[in-house]
Amino acid sequence: MTTPTKVGAARPAPRAATGPTPPQRRRPGRLRLSTTRPWLLLAPALAVLAVLLLWPLARVVLISFQDYGLREIVSGRSNYIGFANYAEVFADPALWTVVLPNTVGFAVAAVGGTVILGTLVALLLASLDRFWRTIVSSAVMVAWAMPAVTGTYVWIWIFDADRGIVSQFLQGVGLLDEPHNWFTDRWSFYAVVLVNIIHHGFPFVAITVLAGLLGVSKEMLEAATVDGAGAVRRFFSITFPTLRPVFAVVVILSTIWDFKVFAQIYLQPGGSGSNRSVFNLGVWSYVESFAQNRYGFGSAIAVLLTVLLLAISVVYVRTLFKEEK
Amino acid sequence: MKAPPAPDAVRIPARRPRSRRARWTLAWKAVAVAALLLFTLFPTYWMISSAFDGRATGGAQSLFPAEPTLENFSYVLSEAGFGTFLRNSAIVAVSTVVLSGILALFAAVAVARFRFRFRTGILMLILIIQMVPLEALVIPLFIQVRDLQLLNSFLGLIIVYVAFSLPFAIWMLRGFVAAVPVELEEAAYIDGASWGRMFWSVLLPLVAPGLVATSVFAFIIAWNEFIFALTFMDSPSTYTVAVGLQQFFGENSNEWGYVMAGSTLITLPVMIFFILVQRRLSGGLVSGAVKG
Repeated sequence: MTTPTKVGAARPAPRAATGPTPPQRRRPGRLRLSTTRPWLLLAPALAVLAVLLLWPLARVVLISFQDYGLREIVSGRSNYIGFANYAEVFADPALWTVVLPNTVGFAVAAVGGTVILGTLVALLLASLDRFWRTIVSSAVMVAWAMPAVTGTYVWIWIFDADRGIVSQFLQGVGLLDEPHNWFTDRWSFYAVVLVNIIHHGFPFVAITVLAGLLGVSKEMLEAATVDGAGAVRRFFSITFPTLRPVFAVVVILSTIWDFKVFAQIYLQPGGSGSNRSVFNLGVWSYVESFAQNRYGFGSAIAVLLTVLLLAISVVYVRTLFKEEK
Repeated sequence: MKAPPAPDAVRIPARRPRSRRARWTLAWKAVAVAALLLFTLFPTYWMISSAFDGRATGGAQSLFPAEPTLENFSYVLSEAGFGTFLRNSAIVAVSTVVLSGILALFAAVAVARFRFRFRTGILMLILIIQMVPLEALVIPLFIQVRDLQLLNSFLGLIIVYVAFSLPFAIWMLRGFVAAVPVELEEAAYIDGASWGRMFWSVLLPLVAPGLVATSVFAFIIAWNEFIFALTFMDSPSTYTVAVGLQQFFGENSNEWGYVMAGSTLITLPVMIFFILVQRRLSGGLVSGAVKG
């Protein structure tokens, strides 16, 4: 109970002292301590990050150059074989015909879908009155809050071959003669994943863009309306340029998330290894490592995924922020 | 429907052609809102409805529970051991929240309040680490945790989750710490407070809302995480909820009533937490990421 009073009492003080003194008073107190204290404060967090993120990141690269199986895991000995794992990854036709198209194609579709839907929803929310905005944004929150694992199970249930509601509905209206298994075919498998990911991912885009929309100048939009600009023209000439940094963030984060989709694929029927035509980089790496015990080969795939993601992030950050200038 | 445009037209005749368009816009908006509500809410509704449906497991599913019952829940909680999974997840998630909250707050104060060498470098490092796909670290972390004999233990999962939630938590808390006026700290010093006292009595209460938002974020990460829990835990007594759900899937028959009851139990705490703090969460994401 003492804390709030303390803060309350402290508040008027700086206003009174804002006159001549603060710059000088601020410096000495800070400089004296700033050599050791920040590092003391940072040390635990940096130690955790170094041991559990940076070292594993280095280690996955090291393992990718080894023939690392159960024997190596048990003995802890290294077994370097140079670039053989990478050679095998790149020579595997599955990489070019299945895994990369699945990974990249899906990411493009999912990022496009989430960003477009999210932006449209944000524009819709901005145009609603207060009551409906609260209702719709709460519904959007519910979609966002659905955990990936349970959300995936719900979508599998909805698209279940025998008793799923989609199958039953389509049979009921006569579009489907017999139960159809959506999870055997690569395209319909990924269509379900796409619906799942868009449902899970668009709320972030919608809420973030909506927050950005509040910063768009109303006067400018009104002026454009008076000058006869339509809604589409207004969006691309005023709203989008103002929101460019927001879109940059949204696109980068969505790309990163959609590139490494794992649970949503792994949990769908056939996704955990029995149907190799639905592998993406993450699932392929996981199955090779933990089902086949080929940790070296799996690490090479994981490194490939990491490099691709970092390259994409760098390119996006550069282009989007360069255009801004 | 005819009443509103008329007075409008009388008052401002120039607007008359627009009122028909306005009505179309309204109709489109109504359709869009209805479609959106259906798309966002249906999976959640379907999950809850199936969880309460006595026949969801057997077949014949309609839009509303055919035979409303709590049987799915009682089976899942008692016989299927879901109570244990919930407890395991709670232990792991709460430990993660506490540890990552403390570490992130210290680090955030360091980068938000002090100017020191390599400060920018550290910020960049945190930002870059956030972009590393954690899925790519399963193999080395599995080996590392195995070497430490921490497979199948909560501690192994907790330290990994702390590491995952740290970069984002630091990034977000940094914004909250920076938002506290430096003058308040100075006032505390003038009043004779030590740095520790200032931190405890001035800074901590003021960043508490940010700490709550960050904690919820860390909780959700730990509660929902799947791939590491799947890899590290191989006995039902240590399963977390995300992994425990899998056991309802048989070779040929899926017990959908049970799966949906379990899913409902997993989802509800997350949804409540999430909706409580979402404003701060999205605000933090944007301000942290955009303002750099």
